[in-house]
Amino acid sequence: MALVFFVLFSWFMVKARTRRQVMALCMAGTVAVVLVAPPRVQAQGDLVAAIQAVLNVINGVIQTALNSINSVRTAMSNLYQSVVWPVNLINQAQAQVTQMIKQYQNLMQRIFNLQLASATLPVTQQLETVMRNQQAADFNALTAGYGNAYGPIPAATAANPQDRALTDMDDALVMDNLKTLKAADAAANFTLQAAAQMESGASQAAPGSAPFLTASAVVASIQSQAITQKMLAAELRQEAGSMAHQNAERKRTATNTGQFGNQIMNLLKRN
Amino acid sequence: MKKALAHTLDGLKRSARWTWAHKFRAAVLVLVLTLMAPRPIKSQFDPCCAILTAGLSTVTSTLSSVIGGGLNNILSVEQTIQSFEQATVWPQALITQAQGLVGQVQGFYTQIEAVIKIPVNSATLPSTQQFERNLLSGDSGQIPQTGANYTAVYGGVPDAASAPAPVRNMVDMTDAVAQDAMKRAIEIDQLATLELQAADQINQSIQAAAPGSAPIIEAQADAWLVRANAYTQAATADLMRVRAVDLANAGAGVKLGATNTTNLGQQLNNLLQRQ
Repeated sequence: MALVFFVLFSWFMVKARTRRQVMALCMAGTVAVVLVAPPRVQAQGDLVAAIQAVLNVINGVIQTALNSINSVRTAMSNLYQSVVWPVNLINQAQAQVTQMIKQYQNLMQRIFNLQLASATLPVTQQLETVMRNQQAADFNALTAGYGNAYGPIPAATAANPQDRALTDMDDALVMDNLKTLKAADAAANFTLQAAAQMESGASQAAPGSAPFLTASAVVASIQSQAITQKMLAAELRQEAGSMAHQNAERKRTATNTGQFGNQIMNLLKRN
Repeated sequence: MKKALAHTLDGLKRSARWTWAHKFRAAVLVLVLTLMAPRPIKSQFDPCCAILTAGLSTVTSTLSSVIGGGLNNILSVEQTIQSFEQATVWPQALITQAQGLVGQVQGFYTQIEAVIKIPVNSATLPSTQQFERNLLSGDSGQIPQTGANYTAVYGGVPDAASAPAPVRNMVDMTDAVAQDAMKRAIEIDQLATLELQAADQINQSIQAAAPGSAPIIEAQADAWLVRANAYTQAATADLMRVRAVDLANAGAGVKLGATNTTNLGQQLNNLLQRQ
């Protein structure tokens, strides 16, 4: 820009014919320089003020913000470590689980495994043993033991069809129930093992891993509830069967009583 | 070469003559050239540069101490939080261990389900076998056949000519409650099987869950547990109905006995009076 101005100015200066043109050219050049020339550089005082302003921003707003963030994060860290997840209480909880396992698990297991068998005769002892052995793989032994203790259903020549059906249904419902109970006993053993494992897991759990165990325990509760329902269903069948049996006898008694009454009336009328 | 030299010397002579002839213009051009000539860069000894250097040094040290220091403090706190959370709150090893434990617990329930599925049917006669199959089916679709199977084994309500109305009512009510309970048992068996299936599904979800998503699955499991409790209550209610009707039958038996005794006494009286 300056070079172009200088070349043009020199050209017109050389070509000027009169002193008046030279003077006019000087004035035009001066005006052009004044109008087009870039503003002067800021003074030293402005530079100092600018640097000071930057320093003020750093020392003021930014420092305050950083200090605030630091305070908040420190407070959160303290909150986590002293209120939400205090390590001493986590350790205490784990220790409590371990202590309770020692205090209760074996004791309860011993109580639960006490021998309750009470039969005195060989046949009933055999049935009682198989009824209470918590095994689900020996249903045939149960059927045999039950037959030995309670006898088979009467032969077709020894009882009327309804009596045979009633006794067979009674026996079936009883044995269904006993088999279900054997399965439920076996399930209870597995449930106790699962509970022991979950409790052992809880003794080593962290706050972040405990939700897995809690969720698993809830699922185990659903499964236990389902087993309880299956036992209840068996109990319902048995109770209903018992009542149905009594009702069948009631029907027969009513019919027999009616027939007996009619026969007496007929007898009295004839007399 | 000589020609070019002579030409240059001639040009210089002409320039000198023009300058001599136009002294004012030459002076103006020299002045303009002087003013427009590029100026040398200011040296570091310039007072303005010194101030700038000092200012930038101060800014740098302030940045280092205030911002750098502040950020370092924050970083230190963040690292403390991170290591605390990784080591104490959510340790990966314990999370993996817990997920493994869930799988082991599921293993126990797989064995339980296998035990529960072992058939328990025990009837020996055709009619009772059919009835027992219906009762143990665990299939609510077979409930409509329960009534016919029941009647085949336990008989129907005596007709009006065979039994008085109170006895027929008692018999019918007892049959109804017994059949209701048996039908409920079929329902409950099926519901329990579905609950076990759902529990398996939920358990698999837990094994694939994160610490943050496990509580959601737990909430679902809680809902299932509440539902299961409701079904258990329904089954218990039917059991209570059976026992209530049983007690009612015992009471009704005493009432019928009293009525029959009174009637028999009157009839004997009438008979004796006639004779």
